[in-house]
This record gives sequence, C-alpha cells and structure tokens, in this order.
Amino acid sequence: MSFWRQSLKLANRLISHNSKSIFHATNSRNFHRWVSPTLRELSRRRKIVGPDPEKPRSTYLEWNYDVEIHCFGKRVGENFDEKVLREAFIQREWANLQEFKGKAEDESFIPPQHNYELVQEGFKLIKDHIQDIYSKTYTIDIVNAVCDYLTTDEMLAHVAKYLGVKDLIKSVEFPPSTKTLADTFKAIVGALSYSADPERVKLFVNDFVVCQMNGKDVYDIWTPDNPYDYLLKLLQEKGITNVEPRLCNQSATNTILANYQVGLYNSEDKSCLGLGWGENIQIAKNSAALDAIQRIYN
Amino acid sequence: MSNSHLFLKPAFITTPGQNGVGRYVCQLQRVVLKFCKSHGASRGMREFIESDLINFVKNSPEVAVYLKPRRHRSPIIKAEYLNGETQWINASNFTQEEVLKWLFLVKSQASNRTGIRLRKLLHTDHPSIQGPWTPYLFRDPKLNLTTFPNEELSQADVQDETATVKLLKLFQLQKIEDLNEKRAE
Repeated sequence: MSFWRQSLKLANRLISHNSKSIFHATNSRNFHRWVSPTLRELSRRRKIVGPDPEKPRSTYLEWNYDVEIHCFGKRVGENFDEKVLREAFIQREWANLQEFKGKAEDESFIPPQHNYELVQEGFKLIKDHIQDIYSKTYTIDIVNAVCDYLTTDEMLAHVAKYLGVKDLIKSVEFPPSTKTLADTFKAIVGALSYSADPERVKLFVNDFVVCQMNGKDVYDIWTPDNPYDYLLKLLQEKGITNVEPRLCNQSATNTILANYQVGLYNSEDKSCLGLGWGENIQIAKNSAALDAIQRIYN
Repeated sequence: MSNSHLFLKPAFITTPGQNGVGRYVCQLQRVVLKFCKSHGASRGMREFIESDLINFVKNSPEVAVYLKPRRHRSPIIKAEYLNGETQWINASNFTQEEVLKWLFLVKSQASNRTGIRLRKLLHTDHPSIQGPWTPYLFRDPKLNLTTFPNEELSQADVQDETATVKLLKLFQLQKIEDLNEKRAE
C-alpha cells in the first residue's frame, strides 16, 4: 500500500510539475503516456530492492512507553511494581550500549538496570512450579521431559508473543529473537515475584505456561527408548513381576499390510495391562508396553 | 454460502496461544484514532472523543489509545492486535455511537477478520475420542479358540431357504394336491 501511495505521490508531483512548467494547462482528461511506464519501472525497482524492513513500533509518532507499560500490566491482570517491570524488558546488551554511550558523554551517567538476574530467577520459578505440578502424578523422567518441553525458548517466546511483549523489549536487535522473547517472559515472571505473593506467581505460570499443555498428550512429548523394559521396571516397583505378552490377533500376515495385536497380561490375576498394534510382533509389543505405561498413570 | 463469499479466504475458528484456557488476555493491544479537528467527516469521531473516550479507556485499561489529529484527512480507526496484525477502519461520517461500536468490535476480536469466511462455526483438533476402527474391534471371542482351516466356518453363510429347496417344497405340495384330486374322482 505504502509503495503505491508513494509512487502515486511521485506521479502527482511529476504531473503538477509538468503542467506548471511546460503546458500551463488546467486538468486534463487523459492519463499521460509516461505514467504507466514510470509506475512499472518503480514497481520493478521495488521488486529488486524488496519490501522495507519492519520498523520498531517505538519509532512511530504515536508511541508512549509509560502507557504501554501500564497497559501491559493490566493486560495480564497483575499489579506489577512498575520499576521492576521496566527493568524486565531491558536486555543486557542494550543496557551496556546505553552505558557506553552515556559514559562517553557524561562520567556521572547512571546505567539502566538490565534483566539478567530477573531472567535467572524467573526461569527457576517457572521450572519449579511445572515440576511441582507434574510430579504429583508422573515419574521424574516424564516430569523432566514435560518441563523441558514447556520451557524451551520457542514455547516461552510463543507465550510472550501473545502478551504483547515484542514492542516493549529494549534490545539491540530488531525484530527481537526467539531467545530475547523467551528471556523477557522469564524476567516478567521474576518481576512478578517482586511485586506479588508467591501464590500469584504460581497462578501466572499456570495460566500462561502450563495451559499450553491443553489438548496435548504427555506421551506425545515423552516416549521411552525401550518401552517394554521401562514398563517391567515400573511394574516391579508396583510388585507385579510376571508379565505375559500374548499375540491376541493377527491379520494379513506375510503381506505388506501385516498387522498384529499384542496384549500384555498379568499372569497372576489374568488382568490385561495393555494392548498394542504394530506391523510386526516386536513393534506391537512395544506399543502395548506404551499403552500399559499410560494405563498406570491414568 | 452465496456467490459473494466465493472469493473470501476460508478459515477455521482459532484461539491464539490457548487464550482463555488460563486467563483471558484482550488481543487488541492499541488503537490509534486519527481525525481532523475541523472537517465534517470527523464530526462523530470528535464527539466520541469529547464524551465517550474517557469511559472507554476506563473500561479497557489493557488497550493503549492514541489520538492523532491530522488536518483535512478522513478519520481512521487503526487497531493493532497482539499477533502483529493491523486493521484500518475508515470512520468518515461515522456517528459517535458507530465509532464506539467499531471499537467494541476490534476489542473483542483477536485478528483482522475482514475478507475471511468461517468454514464452520465449530472446530476441534481431536474429532474422535474413541480412536480408529481396527479389524479386531467387535470380533467374536469364539474365534480365539478355533483352529483354521475350519470346515464349518468355510461354508457360505446362508440364512434363508435356497431357490432349490423352495422349488422342491412346491413340487411336493403339487404332488399331494394331484393325489387328492385323483382320489376325489
């Protein structure tokens, strides 16, 4: 759009310049012969140069950082200590750059606080809370896998993006990288721990990070390398030692569409522990073991 | 769907970033109201700014509102969403109430929905909770102990009388009737 507006402006200027200097004429009813080739040339050049780089929102005329910070607090529904919240958005590199620039001009320049410590604190709070929640139902392996999944930079950056963090970040690079976005989210959690009680922080992590597991299965995130052995280990802790895998069904054997169903049974009380399918018996046995692991926790 | 919807981009209902599962985050991050201080087309916008804007800002503190007076240009509502999209609404000759209604609309939606039609009013990522059908579903347990090849199970599964049997029965009946007639004579 802006390109067309610019090119039209240019065209207008050319037209007005032309009419004033050469013809001294009033408005004409036709388009000049040069308009179309000029626009075509402009668009060709634009194609070669590519679109304009994205401009930070803070460079716009209508921008008020104080208002934006206030709105951010209201948006996530928390009462932040404004000073700490501002600190949470300042990246270390940016602060260092400001300090370097400021010191060059004035020796008594006070450098801005950056969010490095807040990031560490926030990250610890997020990890602790996720581990607290999941360790109530799952073993340490699953808890660690889920925790790693939820605290990846991509996941936290995704969460941060939908809180409107991007425009508020003060960093050297633009647009901010995934890591910067994730760090800022961690720092916000850290800043919240200074502004509100620990329960509130837990609720915040619950509402924004843990809820990303909605509609996702823990067993899609965590899968053991050798499910059958892992199951035997788990069952031994529960006191079940005799696990009997049985071939329940098979169809289309010796063809490319072969299919087997294996059931795992507790041979003492003849109860079914898990059922699984696969294109050969080994795969079916492993998927039955995965099913059995899921049944233990659900 | 009518002809006018043919060229609209089809879309599903979505929620950005699991919004509302935890807590609701208003997806409108800022609004810029552009208007002219003297032009007639901006009259409704000016009236809105004079009387309703304070209430709107009080009721929605999560939205940053900017005012941008521009000389002799048409009034615009520029809405910026959290997903980075921007929506321009030409508000020329809008009344005060219309401006408020449009602001409520942009406040309640998550992205620019113009030029989009919903394929369905419902959407789910998990259409089946039962799982897929397998050839072993509802299988007769009797088959577990059968040895194959099995003579009985190999036969055709015929429930009704065959045509041959029906014909034979008819023939028998006819013979009896013939016998009865002969006796009657």
